Amino acid sequence: MTELLQYVANGLVSGGIYAIVAIGFITIYNVSKVINLAQGEFLMLGGMVTVALIGMNLPYGLAALLAILMVTMIGVLMQKYVIAYVKKANPISLIILTIGVSTLIRGIASFIWGKDAFALEPITSNEPISIGGVMIAQQSIWILAAVLIILFLLWYLMDKTILGKKINACSVNPMAARLMGISPTKMSMLAFAISGATGAIAGIVIAPLSVTSYDIGVLLGIKGFSAAILGGLGNPLGAAVAAFLLGIVESLGAGYISSGMKDAIAFLVLIGMLLIKPSGIFGERSVGKGGL
Amino acid sequence: MKQIIDKWGKSIGIYLFLLILFPFVMPDEYYRSVGIIIGLQAIVTIGLCLVMGLAGQISLGQASFWGIGAYTSAVLTTKYGLPPFVGLIAAAVVPGLFAFILGRAIAGLQGYYLAMATLAFGYIVQIGITEWESVTGGANGMISIPQMTFFGGSELSMYFLIWGVVTCVLLFSLNLLNSRVGRAFRAIHKSEIAATSMGIDVRKFKLNAFVVSGMFAGISGGLYAHYMGILDPQPFGLHESIKFLTMVVIGGMTSIWGALIGTILIGFISEGLVLLSEVVPGLQGDVDTIVFGAILVLFIMFMPEGLVPRIRAAFEKGQAKKAKAMADEAQRKQQVERKAAT
Repeated sequence: MTELLQYVANGLVSGGIYAIVAIGFITIYNVSKVINLAQGEFLMLGGMVTVALIGMNLPYGLAALLAILMVTMIGVLMQKYVIAYVKKANPISLIILTIGVSTLIRGIASFIWGKDAFALEPITSNEPISIGGVMIAQQSIWILAAVLIILFLLWYLMDKTILGKKINACSVNPMAARLMGISPTKMSMLAFAISGATGAIAGIVIAPLSVTSYDIGVLLGIKGFSAAILGGLGNPLGAAVAAFLLGIVESLGAGYISSGMKDAIAFLVLIGMLLIKPSGIFGERSVGKGGL
Repeated sequence: MKQIIDKWGKSIGIYLFLLILFPFVMPDEYYRSVGIIIGLQAIVTIGLCLVMGLAGQISLGQASFWGIGAYTSAVLTTKYGLPPFVGLIAAAVVPGLFAFILGRAIAGLQGYYLAMATLAFGYIVQIGITEWESVTGGANGMISIPQMTFFGGSELSMYFLIWGVVTCVLLFSLNLLNSRVGRAFRAIHKSEIAATSMGIDVRKFKLNAFVVSGMFAGISGGLYAHYMGILDPQPFGLHESIKFLTMVVIGGMTSIWGALIGTILIGFISEGLVLLSEVVPGLQGDVDTIVFGAILVLFIMFMPEGLVPRIRAAFEKGQAKKAKAMADEAQRKQQVERKAAT
């Protein structure tokens, strides 16, 4: 029983990370109908830049803050100079474009930092806490806290503020939004900024627990996307729930079947889901065609 | 066949000429081996071009079909002592089956869903190869895979064997492009809805393209296994799939010739980068990853149609201009003559 609970606890932590990635995907997708396949790279950059800045003797907090700002900027620049440039591109081109950006970022990261893995100091101590026999690393609690705070802030932004209503308006009908004086381009840029910032935060909080290296983005990206599809692309809450489920399934699979197959399990779930119900558990209107 | 020769006779002639000339102007074994690797990759990219350019779909898992083909032939010949020829047939059939099953499952999918499903499939295959140690040798890989004995099995004979396969694949694809099936594919690429309303079974066509591309990749993989003699899971991952993608994009997604030329260009760029990293000590990490990423981004932004269609368009424009100038000239002459007559 304790073993099972332990696996569930581990799954919740990794599920939390997938939730942040999934929400990054959905935020951008809702506004601009682009799936940003460089989403995972935002996480990688968050962790790697923080490590690099701490290496330059900056204090932890400042380094993290600068890293978040930098990744946010990269998101905005990506929207402004790359995505917005090819407005009329067909979906295939958009996919290749974001894959190109992610490959480019990964390549530059491997060029700057090499292929070594780096670890970040945990925010609080390394001592795990025991809750009813289940051992939880203190960093895991930080991860979950970050996830919940991000989810709450995004919910507040989208549901309770005028800005959120503007973003929603763009996702429902960009033309009508434009007629009402809202700039879909600006909202799209904002979406990229949000996904950059949340991605960077996620990257920083996971770096102490699982080491970070130039190529962690791909796996995290696919898993986040799987969660987004499982939950129903376009539905942030559904995606978050699906992400936690995916994390738990994966952790149970790793525990009871084979740890080497851990990643394969998530992908099998993805393919199975695409087979049975591509619209996701919580249903969704989109068909995944993309396009701006 | 006659149609293709009418339409592409000149290009095929130049292609054959360069293909035969290459190993003799490059007598160095090293360049011949580069030529062989590029030929192997061309088989894969021509297949990928059928999926991307004609069926309008994307596959990010092409390297995994390549890998399945390589391991199928390697396991059959090394562990069960079958001749490489039989191994190669299996190397076409098994990835074709995988492509069929995967394609059946996801034939209704488009765009991002298909992209991610093939990406995920690629990961599953790579993990599968690594984990299935008893058969594939796991991360350590396989050694002493029987070499092909084709006219003595020298580098030169391998070169001609592999480019012979490339030529078959090329002619097959050009033929396909030029047939009713090709027209159906182009219709799908333009608009699936319009194609469906014209009575084209879009799912079936997409599935066929997917299976053919899987089989091409598999044959290439089998040849790769017998050429190298050793295998490990490392080359069959995302990096290679993105390389194949770059090759198709750079040449022009809608052109079979584009896929071939893109493969040759990227092949030489890769070799150039390898040589460069030996000379310049600071070039750590994957420089080619940066180059491929940049190429993908820049091409989609500034030349989404790719090199070959762009050059062809420029050429045709030039031809049209020339023709127009000649027509104008003739007309003027006629007018002058008429004037002189009156």
